[in-house]
Amino acid sequence: MTLLELEDVTASYGHAQVLHGISFRVGENAAAGILGANGAGKTTTLRAISGMVATGGKITYDGRDITGYRPDKVAALGIAHVPEGRGTLGDLSVRDNLRVGAYLRKDRKGVAADLDLCLDLFPNLRERIGSNASALSGGEQQMLAIARAIMAKPRLILLDEASLGLAPSTAQRVYQAIRRLRSEQGVAMVVVEQNAMLAFSVVDHAIVLETGKTSLSGSRDELMGLDEVRRAYLGG
Amino acid sequence: MEYFIQLVIEGLATGSIYGALALAIVLVNRATGLINFAQGGMAVLSTFVAYALFDAGAPLALAILGAIVFAFALGAVLERVIVRPFERGDPDTAVVVTIGLFVLLGGVAAFFFGYEPRQFPSFFGLETLNIAGVFVSLRSIGTIVVLALVVVLLQVLFRGTKLGLAMRAVADNPVSASLSGLPVSWLLMIGWGLASVLGVIAGVLVAPQLFVSPGMLDFVLVYALAAAILGGLDSPQGAVIAAWFIGVIENLAGAYIDIVGNDLKIAVPFVVMIIILIVRPQGLFGRKVVVRV
Amino acid sequence: MKSLTRLTTNRWVRLAIGVAVAALLIVLPLISSKFVNYQLSLMAVFAVAILGLNIVMGYTGQVSLGQSAFLGLGAYIAAYGVTEGWPIPLIFLLCAVVPAIVGLIIALAAARLRGLALAMVTIALPIIGIPLAKRFREFTGGSQGTTVRWLSAPEWNEGFLENDQWRYYVVVIIAALMFLLARNLVRGRMGRAFRIVKENEAVAISIGISPYRYKVLAFTIASLFGGVAGFLYLGVVQYTSPETMSFHTSINMVAAMVIGGSASILGTIFAAIYFVLVPNLANEINPSLTALFSGAILLAVLFLVPGGVVSLPRRIAQVLRSLRRRGNAPARDAETPQNPSDGALAPTATGPKSTEKNRKRQGQ
Repeated sequence: MTLLELEDVTASYGHAQVLHGISFRVGENAAAGILGANGAGKTTTLRAISGMVATGGKITYDGRDITGYRPDKVAALGIAHVPEGRGTLGDLSVRDNLRVGAYLRKDRKGVAADLDLCLDLFPNLRERIGSNASALSGGEQQMLAIARAIMAKPRLILLDEASLGLAPSTAQRVYQAIRRLRSEQGVAMVVVEQNAMLAFSVVDHAIVLETGKTSLSGSRDELMGLDEVRRAYLGG
Repeated sequence: MEYFIQLVIEGLATGSIYGALALAIVLVNRATGLINFAQGGMAVLSTFVAYALFDAGAPLALAILGAIVFAFALGAVLERVIVRPFERGDPDTAVVVTIGLFVLLGGVAAFFFGYEPRQFPSFFGLETLNIAGVFVSLRSIGTIVVLALVVVLLQVLFRGTKLGLAMRAVADNPVSASLSGLPVSWLLMIGWGLASVLGVIAGVLVAPQLFVSPGMLDFVLVYALAAAILGGLDSPQGAVIAAWFIGVIENLAGAYIDIVGNDLKIAVPFVVMIIILIVRPQGLFGRKVVVRV
Repeated sequence: MKSLTRLTTNRWVRLAIGVAVAALLIVLPLISSKFVNYQLSLMAVFAVAILGLNIVMGYTGQVSLGQSAFLGLGAYIAAYGVTEGWPIPLIFLLCAVVPAIVGLIIALAAARLRGLALAMVTIALPIIGIPLAKRFREFTGGSQGTTVRWLSAPEWNEGFLENDQWRYYVVVIIAALMFLLARNLVRGRMGRAFRIVKENEAVAISIGISPYRYKVLAFTIASLFGGVAGFLYLGVVQYTSPETMSFHTSINMVAAMVIGGSASILGTIFAAIYFVLVPNLANEINPSLTALFSGAILLAVLFLVPGGVVSLPRRIAQVLRSLRRRGNAPARDAETPQNPSDGALAPTATGPKSTEKNRKRQGQ
């Protein structure tokens, strides 16, 4: 069962077209990766799904054409976007950030349970629950951003460069939590990641973007077997 | 001593009026990053609505309530229709937009009601109380109490409700907030509507003294802007404290410093503001000093 | 449209236009009524004041709501000088220098502040200036103001030029010289520095331009122009009072500057014409509509022609071009945040320049 499908999606900022026709699909409970160099259009692809850029082509989610939906409507459908740069609300406390994440939910009990889940996944946040988000370290902010997405109880998480700017050990811890989230909750994901090793630790299949077009796609193992992928992204 | 206390209380009362408008300015600045010079114009127009309703025979409380509803709608509509395209753009242009609105709204009020000042009754009685030798008018006390109530209500709204949480989130980062499903567009309109309501509260409080006319709040607006900036622009508490400070210092300087006198007392808060800004460009309670809880 | 632009860039055409405008300016007062000459002279007066405003606000990007204070200061100095019988060149010099020094002192303190705090300090100038003017009665005439009789047509030209015509020529010649000065300033190194400071202060610092120094400079020049405009004002109106400083005058000058075209010398002339003409016209129709008109026109300009009247030809060409493009291009989804009104949701729709300024404004 396909959860998300992009067909020939284009996107532009003003007059500059950044995506020139991208297609891929993500199954229910599956995780897809988007790899590629800087400026290839990875972040823009996620933004197109969330309705943050002018978009052409067709984006289908759960059988519904969501092309051009506003970000808040996309979120209301169960897509949680962890944006590039984390997007934590700096002047709000960690707890308030998490409450904002659950803004659309009405089930108080479920929200409380998910709060526990988040604090269990990221014990650091439990200690900092009352601090302003701007006072957190980069790694803690990334954890908070992911936790905020979890609080929405999404069916699909869009994860943008979760390891960016983090120390390798911190990045590992963040991805450990993401893997746990995958295995325990079965949330579908689209993962954008510079560090292909980390991406491959989560996703089952992936596409590679080059200047706004899909240049390769395949299952995790297929891609990992390809020389060009190994050379470009796996350092070997 | 009694005279001194009297002056301080009167200063707090005028400061409370500046404070209501200063809160409006801070609210709008936090929500949309703009300094809204039109805040005064919105308040004047809404105060005229209160006047018109009262003039048409409505009880005072109802007239004020009607004006509050009108003010909310006015603020929300102006944000959506006129200000939205300029938000998060070039701030200088945005300032000019709000200046244009300021002129326009004054013009609308003048067109419908003319420039002749009109009398407006006070919500509080005209009695003066004698508390241990200190004479204070009921109006002064009422004004201070109203502002204190407003501050408490705002605190409850922002700290204790989901709507307040959402408004804080949007003020912090609208793009990121929309990713959690917050209806940013609506929340910005509500923010402006609320600010506009604070403005009409200032207008109704000051109307019995200054009468209702298109220019009635020009000076109050300038004081309020000074208070908002002095308070650090993003701190509601700071704005109120700065507004009280301005009201009191103006009153005291006018009474006790001969060279200042009644005519020059208006200059005092601005001279103080300039000095403080030069020493602390972020204002008394700007982001750098106060860690908000 | 393109051919029109080419035409105006041609040297000879420009020269011809310049000669024609000069000829018109010379002939106009000879064939116009006293009232018209008075209005034309006022336009020249406010053109100089708005020109100063444009240098600090249009070119350097510092919101100033205090220009009327310098206008008033210049007018008061001139009035005092005239009543004391000082020679006119000395009066003129003082009208230029004293406001410039006052402006310099204020700017030295205020230019450290960012955008809106600076706006507040400048708005305080007329607010403090008016009670001060009322207080120093012996210099200013208090609330009544000062009436003078000066700058009348000299005796040697008895029967040739009337007072209004003579004053017109004096004012227009001085204004023209101020415009020439401003034009040279903004086209030279200083103007470039102003623009860089306005565009991006970090860039300015990185290429060795001190934003602080140039803001102070721009503010000082603006004050000087304001003072000279005050001198001219007294020449035309023969009267000044605290009202000259009114902060509404400042606000209306800002509005006029934006309507005419900020960061544009030619736009300043349109601004002055607007400043004098539109309130007059609105008054003709209905005095209580004046403010309504001014506000509505300002907002309309901001929405439709952000560059002001001076950019109208360019703007029309731009709109036509985009209409043509829209006809050809494939239809976009209407709900995408292309629409500027959804700017809050589309950070990328605003340019990097504005976001940089935004961050600055929020003091981060």
